[in-house]
Amino acid sequence: MKNWHWIVLGILLIVSLILEFTYLADYASHWWNHVPAFYAIWGGLGCLALIFVTKGLGKIFILSDEDYYDR
Amino acid sequence: MIVELLSVPAVILILGAVVLPLIPERARNSAFILFPSIALFLVWTLPEGSLLQTSFASYELHLLSVDSLSRVFGIVFSLITIIGGIYAFHIKDLVQQTSALAYAGGALGVTFAGDFFTLFIFWELMAVTSAYLIWARKTKESDKAGMRYLLVHSFGGGLLLTGILLHLSNGGSMMVESIEPVYNLANIFMLLGVALNTAVPPLHAWLADAYPKATITGAIFMCALTTKSAVYVMIRLFPGWDILIWVGVIMAIYGTIYALLANDIREILAYSIISQIGYMVTAIGVGSEIALNGATAHAFNHIVYKSLLFMAAGAVIYATGTSKLHKLGGLGKKMPLLVGLYMVGALSISGAPLLNGFVSKTMISEALGEAHLEWPILLLLIATIGTFLHTGLKLPYYTWFGEKKTEFNLSAIPVNMKVAMGIGAFFCILFGVAPDLLYSQLPYPTEFQPFSVYTLVEMTQILILAFVGFWFFKDRLNTSPTISLDTDWFYRKPAAIVRKVFVDFPNNTFGIAEKGTLLLAERLAKLSKNPMKLLIPSFTMEGREIKSDGFSAGIGAALAFVLFSFLVIGLATLF
Repeated sequence: MKNWHWIVLGILLIVSLILEFTYLADYASHWWNHVPAFYAIWGGLGCLALIFVTKGLGKIFILSDEDYYDR
Repeated sequence: MIVELLSVPAVILILGAVVLPLIPERARNSAFILFPSIALFLVWTLPEGSLLQTSFASYELHLLSVDSLSRVFGIVFSLITIIGGIYAFHIKDLVQQTSALAYAGGALGVTFAGDFFTLFIFWELMAVTSAYLIWARKTKESDKAGMRYLLVHSFGGGLLLTGILLHLSNGGSMMVESIEPVYNLANIFMLLGVALNTAVPPLHAWLADAYPKATITGAIFMCALTTKSAVYVMIRLFPGWDILIWVGVIMAIYGTIYALLANDIREILAYSIISQIGYMVTAIGVGSEIALNGATAHAFNHIVYKSLLFMAAGAVIYATGTSKLHKLGGLGKKMPLLVGLYMVGALSISGAPLLNGFVSKTMISEALGEAHLEWPILLLLIATIGTFLHTGLKLPYYTWFGEKKTEFNLSAIPVNMKVAMGIGAFFCILFGVAPDLLYSQLPYPTEFQPFSVYTLVEMTQILILAFVGFWFFKDRLNTSPTISLDTDWFYRKPAAIVRKVFVDFPNNTFGIAEKGTLLLAERLAKLSKNPMKLLIPSFTMEGREIKSDGFSAGIGAALAFVLFSFLVIGLATLF
């Protein structure tokens, strides 16, 4: 990742946040619309949760050696 | 009747499968594309209604029931068979080609079947023909996987048939139409039979077991046809069955978790099919018009981008000879076109705006919102994040961008494969920027608009933050040489014991019995050679052993004379 990649992502995120606060402030179809930047938070937390939960599950019982069924 | 049969798209493809071996080899690949093209034209132009009936025993079969739902599925099945045909243009394996055509014929047959009997016949045809696409890989692994695939599908077909027969004996209609959500035995069996082909956990393991082991070209047909024709049947039979809402959500998360763990690139894509079908199943469970539209649109788009992804993964395997992430890496500079085409598919499946996945995912989200199903929306968003993580980031990163682990002598990818991928990518973009082209084909008229500030904000924020999460924690994702244990464990691991009890034990018992019988027979044979030896052990004549057939000629002649006398006397008394 080069610096300008991060800058583009940052700008996109800021644009989306500006749009959210200017156009969608009173959008009330879901309870979570009252939480500012909810989708960014959900995206970040969801990503971390998935990475660590799958890692845990893989360790506990899912992952196995490639020759598991041949033994 | 025969001429009328030619208006059935499925018959065209099956006829194609029969005719293909008679066509000279160099024209065969073009002919392969011709048949689904004719089918596509037919599907496009056929009027609505039940167009062809025939009687079978006391039933009336409806071979060609066309409405807007079956038409849109028919279009995408024919389209993907054409694209698959182009992708496989360099292949010279007749049996693989015929089975692929017959397989697509099965899918179209299911789509236009108006009654359960027709549906079931084509349903089974799909199972049998697709199994060969696994066997055609001709490795020891694929031999076994193909057999497991076929067995599981025979079981699924059995469930469906049981359901249909119970349904008929309960006085149910022979026609394929929506079933009231009543949990009686007939409905449960039918639902399970359809769910197996839709890859609903725990009946899903066949998919992730078989698809990564199929041939490079065969997997394209498989990823498009079996599960999506089952989704179609589910839309037909079980719209609005509440249980499907949560079944779908579980599917979406389940598939995501396994896809994140997988080390084989096509296994990632296979598990991601399960996750994507979760969206469709959830929408079918909601059952409103917009939800069923969403499920249909998502199935359509899914076929397009998933086959593109499988084609790109197939191209990687073609070029490098491996599909394992722990061996791949650092190939991006050598295959930039492939990376680009793959990323179109990957961003589509992740729901990035202006690509086709976005226009159907937002529709399903809207349907869930209208039904006030808030948690399913949030959980499906988690699946979307996961999809972006495994298909959009993990797979391409460790295949093309991460550190180089093996030095490959890359085989050049045939032009026809690139063309097929190009067509797939074109449709991903086309339906992404002009969703009305797709929406106008959906079963119910819709006013839905996918592009709103809200949806754009939603997807942008989610995807950007998911990317950031991936970038900092990508080392935590599994890329070691491992396999994932899934519900196929229950029939793969005990197989050794089952084999011992039901095959080896009877086999050995029969073996022992056979040996014993043969030994006994041998002894008896030896004995009957000369029974006198046993009967009169001490009897010898002039120092020689007595043989049972050692009579002198004189006795023989005397016996013949006696017999002859009996014959004469017998004849005399008769007359």
